[in-house]
Amino acid sequence: MTSPVAAIAGIGATEFSKDSGRSELRLAVEACRAALDDAGLAPADVDGMVTFSMDANAEIAVARELGAGELTFFGLVGYGGGAACATVQHAAMAVATGAASVVLCYRALNERSGRRFGQVAAGALAGATSSAIDSGWHYPMGLATPAATVAMVARRYMHVFGATSADFGAVAVADRRHAATNPAAWFYQRPITLAEHQESRWICEPLRLLDCCQETDGAVAVLVTSLDRARSLKRVPVVISAAAQGSGANQYTMTSYYLDDLTGLPELGVVARRLWPQAGLRPGDIRTAVLYDHFTPYVLMQLEELGFCGRGEARHFIADGAIELGGALPLNPHGGQLGEGYLHGMNGIAEAVRQVRGTAVNQVPGDGPVLVTAGTGVPTSALILGADS
Amino acid sequence: MTVDAIMAAAQRVQAAGPSSPRLARDPVTGPAIRTWADAMGDANPIYTDPEFAARSVHGGLVAPPAMVQVWTMPGLAAPVGGRPVEAVGGAPPQAGGGAGDDPLGVMTAALDEAGFTSVVATNCDQAYARYLRPGEQLAVRAVLLDVRGPKRTALGEGWFVTTRSTWYSGAEAVATMDFRVLKFRPPDASGAGPAAVAAPVSGAGPAALVGAASLAGPAARPGTTAEPVLRPPASPDTEFFWAGTRIGELRIQRCGGCGALRHPPGPACPSCGGAGLPGSGGVGEAEYQVAAGTGTVYSYVVHRHPPVPGKQLPIVIALVELTEGVRMLGELTGIDPADVTIGMPVRVRFRRVDDDLVLPEWRPDRPDLLPEFVVRVTPTVVVATALATRDFYPVHHDRDFAQRGGAKDIFLNILTTTGLVQRYVTDWAGPDAVVRAISVRLGVPCYAGDTLTFAGTAAETADGERLVAVTGACSLGDHVTGTVRLAPPQREHRGGQEGSSARGTGAAGRPAEQRSTP
Repeated sequence: MTSPVAAIAGIGATEFSKDSGRSELRLAVEACRAALDDAGLAPADVDGMVTFSMDANAEIAVARELGAGELTFFGLVGYGGGAACATVQHAAMAVATGAASVVLCYRALNERSGRRFGQVAAGALAGATSSAIDSGWHYPMGLATPAATVAMVARRYMHVFGATSADFGAVAVADRRHAATNPAAWFYQRPITLAEHQESRWICEPLRLLDCCQETDGAVAVLVTSLDRARSLKRVPVVISAAAQGSGANQYTMTSYYLDDLTGLPELGVVARRLWPQAGLRPGDIRTAVLYDHFTPYVLMQLEELGFCGRGEARHFIADGAIELGGALPLNPHGGQLGEGYLHGMNGIAEAVRQVRGTAVNQVPGDGPVLVTAGTGVPTSALILGADS
Repeated sequence: MTVDAIMAAAQRVQAAGPSSPRLARDPVTGPAIRTWADAMGDANPIYTDPEFAARSVHGGLVAPPAMVQVWTMPGLAAPVGGRPVEAVGGAPPQAGGGAGDDPLGVMTAALDEAGFTSVVATNCDQAYARYLRPGEQLAVRAVLLDVRGPKRTALGEGWFVTTRSTWYSGAEAVATMDFRVLKFRPPDASGAGPAAVAAPVSGAGPAALVGAASLAGPAARPGTTAEPVLRPPASPDTEFFWAGTRIGELRIQRCGGCGALRHPPGPACPSCGGAGLPGSGGVGEAEYQVAAGTGTVYSYVVHRHPPVPGKQLPIVIALVELTEGVRMLGELTGIDPADVTIGMPVRVRFRRVDDDLVLPEWRPDRPDLLPEFVVRVTPTVVVATALATRDFYPVHHDRDFAQRGGAKDIFLNILTTTGLVQRYVTDWAGPDAVVRAISVRLGVPCYAGDTLTFAGTAAETADGERLVAVTGACSLGDHVTGTVRLAPPQREHRGGQEGSSARGTGAAGRPAEQRSTP
C-alpha cells in the first residue's frame, strides 16, 4: 500500500438532460465552476486541467472561459469512457510530482442532442490512423456501434458460462431502482421490472434496449488537489487510495476479439492487479462500487475481473438483489449510466465522492472505501476512494 | 392501340397456333460446342473428351443442354426466320414459315404500335427431354402462351409476353423453353435512356436479342440502405488482404520469419519482431497464406438497430475462428438469425461492393450448399460468350452502341447467364449429372468489369431428382436467380450431394478471369 497524496476536493455537474440547449464548452465551464464552488476555490487557483481525448473542449478553452489564468499541467486521456478514472489518476500524478497543485478533470458532451455515440459513425474510418484501420476490420462488415461490439463478447460469455439476458437485466433493474430515488437522475421515479427489461426490444442480440446506457447532455467536473491542501478546504477530503490504468495484451478499442479468451475484460484485470495492492484492500472491503455500465453484460464481467467473484460466477453473485441498495454490494447507487445519465463515467466518480462524504441521496451505510471504474472493452482505469483517516 | 386491341392481337396469335418450324442453320457440331465451352469456362469432359464421354452416363459426346437455343440462333448474316422446312415435329409445312408467324414477333409489333417499344427479358425456363449429340439437326416452333397487362413495373408501364418454343430433332421434341419478356413504354418518350438498350425483338432469336436490362433500376443491391457500405481505410499494411478478396482469396498474414499467422494483420510480427509486408523485401518479411475459407462461429450478434450504411437489417455478424486458427469478423448470410449457433461450420463468400472493395462474408457450410463461384466478367468474357452463343446483338460486344442506349457498358446475354448457371451446377454435381431443366429469372444487368458470384442450395425431390436453387449476384444486385433440375444419379457419383469433392471438375482450362473460391 502506498500512502495517498492526492484527494478529490470538489465535484460539480450540470443538469442531465436530453437537450441541454447550450454549447458543450459552456457545459464544461458550468461543471468546472460548480466543482470550484464545491471545493471553495477560485478559478485563479486552477493550474492543471485534464479531459478525455474525445472531449470537444480544449483545456485552454475551458481555462480561458473560467478565467483560470496560467496552466502548468494539461493533458488528454484516450479511449473513450476508459479515460474517466484516468483523468483523476493523471491529475493525482501531477499533484504528487508538483507539476500542478489544483487540477480540474472534466467531461462535457451533448451526447443526445449532438453526436450520438450509439449511431454509426462513418468518421471512425477516416484518415490513415491506426484506429481507423482497426475499425476497417468491423465497420464495413456491419459491426459498427458500441452495443454491437459488446454484444459479440456478451454472446460468448453467455455461451461459456450460461448467463442469460435476465442476468443482464438484473443490472438494469438495480440501476433503475436506484435512479428512481435520485432527483438528479433522468429516470427519477421511473423504476423498471425484470419483465420490462425482458420485453424491451432487441438492439443487437443478445443486448436489449434496457441493457444499453442512456444518451445524455451534460457535464461533470472533479477537482483534484493534494491531500494536505484538501484538508484546508470547504469539504472533507476524499482520498484517492488507488488509481490505475490498464490495457490488455493485443488490445483493441471495443473489439479485442483476437485473444484466446473472449469472456473477460483483460484491461480491467490489469487495473485490478495494481489497484488492490496500492490501496492495501480486498474486494470484501468495498462498501459500494460504481461500475461503468455502458452495457449491462460488462458489469457482470467487471465483478469477475475485479475479484468480487470467480470467473463466470457473477450471475450468481448478483442474484436476489445483492447489487441493489440493502444488498451485499450495492452497485451504482446513483442509478448509473442506465439510470442517472451517461456522462462517460465522470458522474460515477462524483457519486463515489458523495458516497465517501456521506452525502449521497442513496447513501450506502458504513465507512468503507468506494470503488469506481471507467469504460471497459477499451483501455480502462479505476479508482478506490476513501475517507481521510 | 387500346388494351382491347392488344388483347385481340394476342387472341389472333393464339388462335393461329404454333409458328411454322424454323430449321437450324447448322447441325449440332463439335467445334461450336468447344467454342461455347471455352467461352463459358466449362471444362465438363462430356462435351469435348470423346474417351471420357464414352465412359460417362451418356456413352458418347453430347452438347451442353443450355446450348439448345444456340443451334437455332439466326447468326450474323442470316435472314430472320431461317430456312423454311418441309415438316418438323409432325406439323404440316407452312407457307412463308419464319418470322411472319412468330408469336413474339407479332406481339412485339402490336405492342410497338401501342407505344410499348422497349423490351427486357425476365424469365427463361428451359426443359430438356434428352441431351443432344453432334450431327443432330434441330428445328424450332413457338406458341404464344400468355399476354398480361398493362402492368406497372420499375421500368414503366408494360406488358408481359410469354412464349413457348419447342425444339425438334426430326419428329422428336427434345427441349422446350418458356420465355417471358416485358414490353414497356419507355419513361422518356424521346427514346433516350434505357429504352434504347433493349433490342428490337425479331422472331428469330428473342432471347438473344433482348438484353438483361435492369428491372431493379440502377440503385444499390436490393434491400440495402441508400448509403454505400462503409469502406476500410487504405493502408499498405492491409492492402494484401483486400487485394485477395478482390480475386476471391481470403489471405492471412504469415510472418516470413517465424511463420506465425495473424489477423488482423499489421506491419510487424508481434511474435518474433519480423517486419514488413509482401513485396517489401525486408528480412523476415511477412507473407500471407490463402485460407481454406472454412471455420466455425466463435461468437455472433444479430444487429437490429440503429441503421448501418449499406446493410438491410437485421444482419448477423459473426466472429469466425478459421480452420487456420485466427479469428475474423464478417457478416453471416444465408441463414435465419434464429438458426445461428456458436460452433456451427461456416464457409467464406465474397461480396463484391464495387471494383475496389470485396468484403469477405460467411455462410453456413453444409453439404447442401454449393461452394461459391466467382466469375470476373471481363469484356472478353462478355464478347466471347455472346459470340459463342451466336448472339450478335451489339449491346454484347460494342460498348459505344451499348452506351448510346443508356447502358454502362456491354453486358452479358441471357444465353450466357443460362450457360453459367448450368456450368456452376454441373461443376459441383460432376460430369455424370444429367441436367433436366434450367429456369432463370433475370434481375439487374451484369456489365463488363463486374464480378458475378454464384451461390446455390441443393435439395432432393421425392422422386430422387435434385433441385439446385442458384443466385448470381453482381455489384448492382442479383443478376440472376434460378433453379437447375438434375436427374436422379444413374451410377456412383464423383461428388454430388455427399460433398463438394467434384467441384474442381471443371477447373482445368478455365479462363483466368474465372475461379472458384478457396
